[in-house]
Order: sequence, then structure tokens, then C-alpha cells
Amino acid sequence: MNTAENESYSPKKGAVISIKDSINKTIISFFKGALEKKIFDAVLIPVKVPAGDSYTWILIEDVSLFKDAAPIAPIMPVQGANALSSLTRKGKGNLKIAAIMRPCEIRAAIELSKLEQVHLENVFLFSFDCPGALPLSDYVQNPPKGEEVFESFFTKNKWNEESIKPICKMCDNFSLPNCDLHFGILGTEKNDLLLIPNSIKGEGVLNEMGIAFKNDLSEWKKKVDEIKKQREKTKKEAYHTIQPMVEGLDNLAQTFAKCIGCHNCMSVCPICYCRQCYFDSEVSKFTSDNYLLRAEKRGGLRFPTDIILFQSGRMSHMSLSCVSCGMCEDVCPASIPIAQIFSFIANETQKAFEYQPGRNVGEPLPLKEYKEEELQELKKLVNDSVGQE
Amino acid sequence: MSDKIGVYVCECGPNIADKVDIKKILAEISALNEPPEKIIIAKKHKLLCSKEGQDFLADEITKNELTHLVIAACSPRDHDITFMNVCKRTDLNPYLYKLVNIREHCAWIIPDKDEATEKAIQYIRAGISRVTYQAPLTEKELDSIPDVLVIGAGIAGIEASLSLAGENRKVYLVEKTSSIGGKVTKFEKILPHQGTDLDIIQEKIQAVQENENIEIFTETEVEKAIGFFGNFEITLKNIHNDEQKNEFKVGAIVVATGFNLFNPGKIPRYGYGKMEDIYTSMEIEESNFKTGKILLKSGNPPKSAALIHCVGREEKGYCSRVCCNYMFKIAQYLKEKIPTIKITEFYQDLCLPNKADQKFFVDTKNKGVDFIRFKDIAVKQKEKEKFIEYTKIDGKKEKISAEMIILAPAIEPADGSKGMAELLNISLDETGFFQEAHQKLNPVATSIDGVFIVGSAQNPKNIPDSMMDAQAVAGKILTQLIPGEKLIPEVIISEISEAFCTGCQTCLSVCSYGAIYFDEDKNISIVNEAICRGCGNCVASCPSGAAHSKHFTSLQIYQEVLEAIR
Amino acid sequence: MDKVLKINKSMEKGIIDLLKFLLESKKVDGIFTLRKLGQNNVDYALITDVSGLNDAVPFYPLMPANAGKILSHLTQKKPIKKPIAAVVRPCELRAFVELVKREQGSLENFLFISSSCGGVFPIKSIEQKDFDKYISNYWDTVKNADISADIRSTCKACEYFTPYSADITVSLVGEKKLDKECRIFLNTDKANQAIKGFDGEISEEEFESSEISSLLEKRKTEKKKLFDEIHIEDLGLEGMVEVFGKCIGCHVCSRVCPICYCILCDFESATYDYSQSDYEKELHKKGGLRLPPDTIFFQIGRLTHMSFSCVGCGMCTDVCPVDIPVAAIFQKTGEETRQLFDYLPGKDVEETIPVMIFKEEEFTELGE
Repeated sequence: MNTAENESYSPKKGAVISIKDSINKTIISFFKGALEKKIFDAVLIPVKVPAGDSYTWILIEDVSLFKDAAPIAPIMPVQGANALSSLTRKGKGNLKIAAIMRPCEIRAAIELSKLEQVHLENVFLFSFDCPGALPLSDYVQNPPKGEEVFESFFTKNKWNEESIKPICKMCDNFSLPNCDLHFGILGTEKNDLLLIPNSIKGEGVLNEMGIAFKNDLSEWKKKVDEIKKQREKTKKEAYHTIQPMVEGLDNLAQTFAKCIGCHNCMSVCPICYCRQCYFDSEVSKFTSDNYLLRAEKRGGLRFPTDIILFQSGRMSHMSLSCVSCGMCEDVCPASIPIAQIFSFIANETQKAFEYQPGRNVGEPLPLKEYKEEELQELKKLVNDSVGQE
Repeated sequence: MSDKIGVYVCECGPNIADKVDIKKILAEISALNEPPEKIIIAKKHKLLCSKEGQDFLADEITKNELTHLVIAACSPRDHDITFMNVCKRTDLNPYLYKLVNIREHCAWIIPDKDEATEKAIQYIRAGISRVTYQAPLTEKELDSIPDVLVIGAGIAGIEASLSLAGENRKVYLVEKTSSIGGKVTKFEKILPHQGTDLDIIQEKIQAVQENENIEIFTETEVEKAIGFFGNFEITLKNIHNDEQKNEFKVGAIVVATGFNLFNPGKIPRYGYGKMEDIYTSMEIEESNFKTGKILLKSGNPPKSAALIHCVGREEKGYCSRVCCNYMFKIAQYLKEKIPTIKITEFYQDLCLPNKADQKFFVDTKNKGVDFIRFKDIAVKQKEKEKFIEYTKIDGKKEKISAEMIILAPAIEPADGSKGMAELLNISLDETGFFQEAHQKLNPVATSIDGVFIVGSAQNPKNIPDSMMDAQAVAGKILTQLIPGEKLIPEVIISEISEAFCTGCQTCLSVCSYGAIYFDEDKNISIVNEAICRGCGNCVASCPSGAAHSKHFTSLQIYQEVLEAIR
Repeated sequence: MDKVLKINKSMEKGIIDLLKFLLESKKVDGIFTLRKLGQNNVDYALITDVSGLNDAVPFYPLMPANAGKILSHLTQKKPIKKPIAAVVRPCELRAFVELVKREQGSLENFLFISSSCGGVFPIKSIEQKDFDKYISNYWDTVKNADISADIRSTCKACEYFTPYSADITVSLVGEKKLDKECRIFLNTDKANQAIKGFDGEISEEEFESSEISSLLEKRKTEKKKLFDEIHIEDLGLEGMVEVFGKCIGCHVCSRVCPICYCILCDFESATYDYSQSDYEKELHKKGGLRLPPDTIFFQIGRLTHMSFSCVGCGMCTDVCPVDIPVAAIFQKTGEETRQLFDYLPGKDVEETIPVMIFKEEEFTELGE
């Protein structure tokens, strides 16, 4: 059975695990145990690179490689869904893989599974209460400082930290995505961690590990809800600020004035899976006559051309599946708040279809589904406007 | 390599000549001449679609060694094919030509001559731009396949098979149960003659089994049917063994899947399934056919019987047409086998559409069967006795006891009709029966050319009408699907670039024709060229543009629009 | 001796007036140059209306995109039909010429205006609140033939800061009187024809001034420093992992690079889509597998494919999200390889790219 198909599964009990050393080390020892018991064949987990200045995804079979692993890493240099996609795109293999990723990465992976870019059979999805990630550029400039700041989220238990990415600050989806097992870090006793099964598959893992899950989840749920409410408020405020940036062509032009057309946002976006972006294809290549004509018509033509076409085109192609992970903003060389902008737009389009990306593996993508009765409110809008004329 | 583009403006009698300034058009178009890269020849003609006009064009193409052709005239709906055929007479590939409509889009709708002329020039320029981006396409020929697939070996399917096989067509007859003949093999007597016709049916069944042109598959289902009239690719599957498959091609498909009875247990007031000795008409026919007797569960013949028509009629919203007649038949069975039995038939309305029906009804009444018209009806039980409680048309409430109750449930389309419709891309109407192409004027065809519906698959139907359908369909197929005929599949189809496809299968999910398949090894989607109809759904849905239309590429459209809005 | 047109106006005003003259007199139908956008930012634009030139800032020290790449896109399908004056930096011009050699554009109908170049700031600098101070400091260093501390590291180390194929070269480096006068060198007949009718004195002077020579020395020192940090020849695989460990495989370096012109990069094609059994084999061999794979493979591949033609513009380092010194690595590798051929990318359009020529007798010493 496919991971995360249980729309109806609602976790009632979890297992309490004592924290030894650090949360990260505790989670690692769980995976070590699971590998030794052959419950999984390999674990996909962030690992610090040899130079110590970043993290990368490693699929670990040899437990000695857990030495530099960090399940909850301070940064998100590569979207976990992309890592999972490179591994499982061509179909499931013989390996049972555990992947521990942030909630937004889980959501993106589920979206990609609907597009045949990720295959979730034989994959066990793990997640955790995510405190957010630090901006990539801040971290690489001073990795030790970044480590220190991130550590403080756990030792001082300070959520809603100022130093996380702007998109993380307004994330209200930071806990319990549609994964198989979830590590709850909020609302627990100081030296405890909750391991919560979130699917029948997840329960199966705990049973095989011999881990009983009898503990109450109400404190955890309470704390999560508390932070969720704060984040919802922040999100609303942020969207309010973003809205004028994208209303009307003039505002769009201003917002994207700095865009240099490098398309890095698209490159790192998990949902942008096209091998060649439509906007990089033949259609974006015009003759010198075309360009000259356009320049003459307006008195001047900006290069690279068609920036707003690319941005709005990308919005229309992927916004229904945007999980607000913020990879785009992290890598934008022109410092455009692109994640916040796309998140705002995505919120609107997803609302129109009552669709939430990554909520359920079985939920089809709105544009791939035909419903006879749909978007009735638009019909009303059209009728009203026609009536006005 | 230079482009030599011939631009010909048709006067179209006075239609175009009077409304636009053709001289100006020719002058401005000629001014686009840019030797040596782009050579434009612009001329006018009185009436290009005439024989003389077509000869003129063919001559111009050859004489000037044109590489592209633009015609400014009427709507492509009128003469696109005409001018394509002119190209075919020459060396010019017919897809390197564009017909620009300056009649319906300019001359006929813009009263101001200058304005109309400006627009015409704009359109022609756009057409010239587009045509230079078009690519030559080659038409292929396929042999049309005269064979036929018949789905369902009931009386309609058998008759269709025999009619076709009789004219030397190969017929693949597919049946999901283990035997052929369908429901009619379960009746002791059939209407209207109630006698000799059973032999005829048995003869037909034997004829089908012996006919060399008919290949029968029992316990088999259709797994896949994709293609178009003259060229369907069929995959059959054994219902017990998924691995056992048969693949072949046919030119037409006949859906003869028949019917089922509505389950009266869904309407509690009939007591079906709850009280003893309440049967459906089919159950009575079947047990009667087996044993020759109609008995209660106790083994005794019933002393009284209530035959209730119209069970589920309101719920279904239609009359099932054949039940009245067969209920008279059942009443006559009873009277024949149990002369002293008291029979009451309850009906909401009587349906007696055929010429022998009225007589049969009167005959049944004369044999001592009571007929009561009801508004409401329910079956009740008190201790061991069953009662029919009913309200007559005049409002009076009465009740009568009956030992055996026989229900005539509504006739429904067979199980799996929804799946069958999806498989064949045809529709079901709101009653759930297959939708005919036109209710009155084309009742055996469907919206898909080459897919036909016969018998009860289309509407509750008696045997003569089913035979009629089958023979009609055979006639249609024999005349429309001709052996040796050549098909030219659509040339303007979709193509998916292998280098750019990521195998997300979005195109597959929106293809209405089943023309895209997924290659598991290469992990990409591929268009079946023989089946694609060029609708462009896949092109629109592909986010990366890997799927593109051969004659409507984004580049062609962009360049056309760019030029038009200049 | 070189022909020079002296304009008695500040460089800013003088150049704008020259561009306006070119457009108004219909010597050209368009000007391709940097244009002001918002407070600190600029973009490249093809300006066809004289009033549009009011926003032009031709030598603004910012490179939002490599102009050579843009000109290649502009002329890739067809040469431009009308005369256009393009104001570009020396490295951008070399990039364009390098691309023309690969059929990725055409030089036809261009009037190239370049300068002795003081370098550009990294794109992110425009976020600084006091960026205009940066700008005024920059011009001071240019006038003094010095190196600004805040420009791209590849610019600091650039020794090819004077253009090769420009029709007109505006002298900027070491021009202490840049606020009052402007010296414009006319290198070709095209240039002479273009400026006919424009106000200014024509005389003969040496372009290669002592200031330029002094800056060259300073730049060479910087280059040595920069290249010494990147001891790529000693790195080996482990060293490569150290340097490129944090690479996230976004490929933006390749996207902004003028020389990377492939429609679909080989390393993004289906060739490198592995099946799970491929991964499983590797996993069992090594015990761990980095995902997505082939990060260093891409870097080495790109080095092999394009470093030979690298013009050292520094766009790659500028846009790298994890601050890898891509430009320095690629430039150094390119230069080391090119030493075998005595070739400078984009110097002369007639000069064929050595890796594209087959010589029967070559590198015979390798065989010995």
C-alpha cells in the first residue's frame, strides 16, 4: 500500500523516547537501530559535507556514515523531494528506504508522486516539527555562527526565531505532514521526544522495532496548535504586504525589475520537473527582426526579454502544487522575495480548487481532473458582469 | 536557401473584390519582397476555387518554383481541402500552404473599405509569417480493416454476427459468461408465438458456433479498444486469467451487452428478499425452464399469485417496455400449469406498443386473469399470510392475499456499462443506457464513428426489435466499412519530444482518444500516430512543451500573432 | 598612434550625447546599453527612441547579465538587419565573439562601443543602503587606475580589461579628468564614419597609457593571489569534494554563463537518469550515496566543455547561491589549458577555436 494514502488516519498515541546527547543524535540512533534490524535497507538523511560548510542528502547504508548526519539540518540546500525524485523517478526498486525530511519536503514529494517523478512504494516517510531553516546565504557566509543560532532553537526552545527564512516565519504547516512517522519535539518534557505513527505503515515500523506507542499526544497537539495560530496570523499579515506587489502589470513590472532571468528559482523548485522549461524552449527564441520590432514599437526593449511572462507562466504552471518551501527565494541572486510572492498566489489558486498540495496521495491534481460542475462562483461572476453591461 | 512565397488574392466574384482594395493589398504585400532571402510574388485572380482558378494556381506553383503558398480568400471550411489538393498536383507539399480568410473575417464584416483592406493586409502578412515556419508533412495510408468486434453474445449480438459473417466479414464475438445465447435461452416460451421460435433461436446459436467467419471468445472481456473507424486496436482478456490475452484489429465495434433486472430488494415495500415466495420474473422463467414447473418454496403449486408490474419504474424514471407482455405470458404459464390458480396482475400503466400485444392482453384476461390498476402498492405479511395492499386509481384502498408474488422489475443496462462506455469513449445517457448518436434519427450509432449499440444495451427491448437493431447495424457496417478501402489517418497530430519528456503522464490523463501510451523502459510518453486525432489536449497540458502539435507549433502561432499585432 | 575623439564634457554627458547623436542622425537604429532601473539597479535595453537614452547609464559598474549572451540570443537565428550600437564590456564583447565562432550569433551591423574597464560590483551589492557611495568610490579608483575593493574578485584579477574587437573604445582607466572631458578612441573605419558630424576634436594619441600599464600590473598581482587560492591542479578528487561539497546542483552558473549555449545541457538530459538498480549497485559499493548524484561530475564536465573559452566575466560566482568561487576555478583551468595553444577567447573572430581544429601533428611530445 502506498505511503500516506490514509486520509482517515488520525494519530492517537505516540512513543516517548528520551533524548540522549541531542535531538539529532537521538533520531540517528533510532535509524541506526532500524538499519541493524533490517527494517530499512537505507536511510535518506542530510549529512554535513566534508568541508563543514553545508549539508547534502546522503542515502546511507553503512551506519558509520551517520557520524556527520543531521536529520534536522539548519539549512535546506536541496529540496528533499528532489533528492527522492532522483532516486525513485524510474520506479520503485528493491530497497526499503526511510527518508527523513521537513514537512514541506514531504508535501512536495507527495505532489511529485502524482506526476510520476517520485514513486513512494518501498519508501517510509519520516518528518518532524520543523522550526524553519536559516537562509542559505546567511549560513554559508558563516557556518559556525549558523550552527550556533540553529542550536539555540532547541536548547532555548525558541520557536518563531527571527533568523529563519521569511517563508518559514509564516509557515503554519510545520507539523505532521502526510508522513508515516513523525518526531514530535514540541510540548514534550525537556528530555523527551515523541515518535508518532501517522499511518498503518508507520505503526508497522514501530511494532517491528518493538517500540510501544501508548503515550498521550494532547500536550504536543496543544503546543503545535498554539504556534500554528501565531504563524497563521503572521501569514495573513505577510500576504497583505505581498498582495500589492503583484496586483496589476505595473506592480508586477516593478516587483520583477531586479529579475535577471537566471531561472534559478525554477531550477531548485521541486514542482518544476520539466526537463526543459517551456520558457527556455523554442518559443522563447525570436529572430532579431522580432526583437527589433518590439524595441521600435516601445522605444526600448529590456533584455533579457519576457521576464514577467516567465514569472507569471511559472505561477500558472505550478502554483497549484506550490508547497511554500522557499527554495526559490534562498537561491535568487537578485534578492527578490519570490517564495513569499509565489506562496501568496498559490494560496489563492489552491483555495479556488479547494486543493492542498501533499495532503493526500490519492487526491488528483485539479488540472488533471474533469468535473462537470466546478467553479460555479466564476459562472456567477461572469453572469453578474454581463448583467452590469 | 531562399523562400519563394506565392500570395494569391481571390476576388471571389464580387464578394471580396468589392469590399477591399485588392490593388492596395497586392502593392503592400509585394513590398515585403526581400531578395534573395524572401521572394514574394503577389497576384490576384477572379475565382481561385473554380477549375480555371485551380489550374492557374498549379501553374503558378510550378512555374515559379514556389516554396510556400498563401491564399487570401474564403474560409478554410469552404476550400482548405480544395487548395491542398491543388498543391498535391504539384511538387509543393500541401502543408506548406496557408489559407487566409479575408472574406468572412474582413470583406463580409467590415463596411468601411479602408478598414477592411487594412485588416486583410494584416492577416495576409500574418499568414506569410506563419507559413514560413510550417513544415512539410507526409500523409500515410492505412488499410481499413473490414472485420468487426461484437461485444455480447445475446440474441442481438448473435444476429449481428450472423448478418456480418454472412457477407464474409470476420467477426470476433466476445461473451463474458461461459455460454452464448444470453437471456432468451432461459425462456420456456417466447413471444409472440410462444412456440416454434425457440427452435429458431437454437438454430441461430448453432449457426454462430459453426460459422467459420465467427471467432467466439467466452469468459472474456474487452480490456482495451483504441483507434478509430476502420482501425481499432483491440485487446481481450480472460476473466479468470489476467495473463491470457488476445490482440487483433477491427474496423467497427458493436456493443450488444444486454440488460440486467433492477434489484427489487432496494424498494423495501415489495418485501423481496425479506418474505418468502416473492420472485422476480427472471427467477420464475429460469426455474420454469429448468423444471417445467412453477412452485412455492414448500414445493406446492401456489393457489393464488399476484403479478406486480412497474417495480422500480418511478425510481428509474422510465418504462421498461417489455414487461407487460412477458407478465401476460407468465400469467398464461401459470394458468396452463395450475388451472385453478387465482391470478391478479397489478399495473400502473399498460404498455402494448406492438401489433399483436392488444390481442395477447385480451387473451390473457379471457383466461381468467384479473387486472387491477394501482396508484400505490405494498406487500405486507401477517403471520404466514402475504397481502397486497394497494390504492386504486379512484383512491379506494383494498387488499388481497396471495401465496406467490411475482415482480416485474425495471430493466437496467448490464453491469459494467459505465466501464464499457469509458473504454469505448461513448456516453451513457441519464437512464444509464448507452447513448445513441441521435435518439430519433440514428439510434444504432453512437457519437464515436464505428462504435454501434444494439439491443437492450440501448433501451429495454423485445426480441423483434433487437433483431431489427442487429440487422440495421450489419447493414451500416457492410456499407460503410469497405474491404480494400484506404484510410488516411490524421496528419496534423501530436508528437512528444523524447529528449524533453519527463514521463509525468499529464498528457496521457487528458487524452480523449487513448492515443498516448507510456513506455516503461524509456520512461516517456509516446503518441500512437495511427490513433491521434490532433485535438491538442496533450499539447495544452504539457507544461514543458515536450508535446507539440505538428502543424500548430507554438512557434508558428507566436510568429503569426506577432505579425498580426504589429 | 591611435585616433582619438576628445569631447569636452563629462564622460557621463559626453557618451550620452554621442549615443543620442548616433540615433538622431540615423547612423544607427538602436542603442544597446545599460539603463537605469529604480534606485540602484540597471538592466540592459535596446533603445530606439532618443528620449529613452535619458535613462541610459552606459558604463554603470553592474552586470545583471552578460551582454555577450544577450547579443547572441538577439542574433542567433538571424543577423540583425539594422545598424545597432552596442555598449558592452571587454569580456562581454569577447564572449560574444567566442559565441559567433560557434554559430551562436552574428557580428553584422553592430557598432561596438567598449571601454577600458574598471570592473563591476556583485549583483547583490545593490541591496546596500549606501550603494551610491560605492559608486562614487568606484569612479575614484577608476580614475586613479586602482582596484576597487568591492568589485567581483574576477574583475580585480582581470588582465584583459581593454577590448579587442570594439569599433570605439572609451578611455576610462586612469582618466583623471573624467568629470570634464572624455577621450574616445576610434579603432575602425566604421567608427570614423559613425562620429562624422559629432562635436569634438580628433587627434592622434596612444591608447596604451602608463596608467593602463600600472593597472595591469596591479591586476596581475591580484590574479596571482586569486589563482593561488585555487590550487586546482593539486586538488584531486578529495580536494574537489572540499571545494564543490556545498554545490547544490542548481546549474545557475551554467545558465548565466555566456559560453554555455546548449539548449538542453547534457548533464540535465535523460542520459543521466539512473534506475534504482544503478543506485543500488553504487550504494552497496560505497555504503552511502549522495543524492541527487553527479554534482562534481557536472562541474568537471562543464570545465571540460567550456572552460577553454571562459572569458572570466564572473557571472557564475555572482549568482552561485552557496558562494563557491566558480569563476576563479574555471578561469584558472581555462588559462592553464589555453597556455598549450596561445589562444585568448574572443580576441579575434577569425581565429578558430583550437579544440575545434584538427592538426595531424600536434602534442607530439606527449607521445614521447
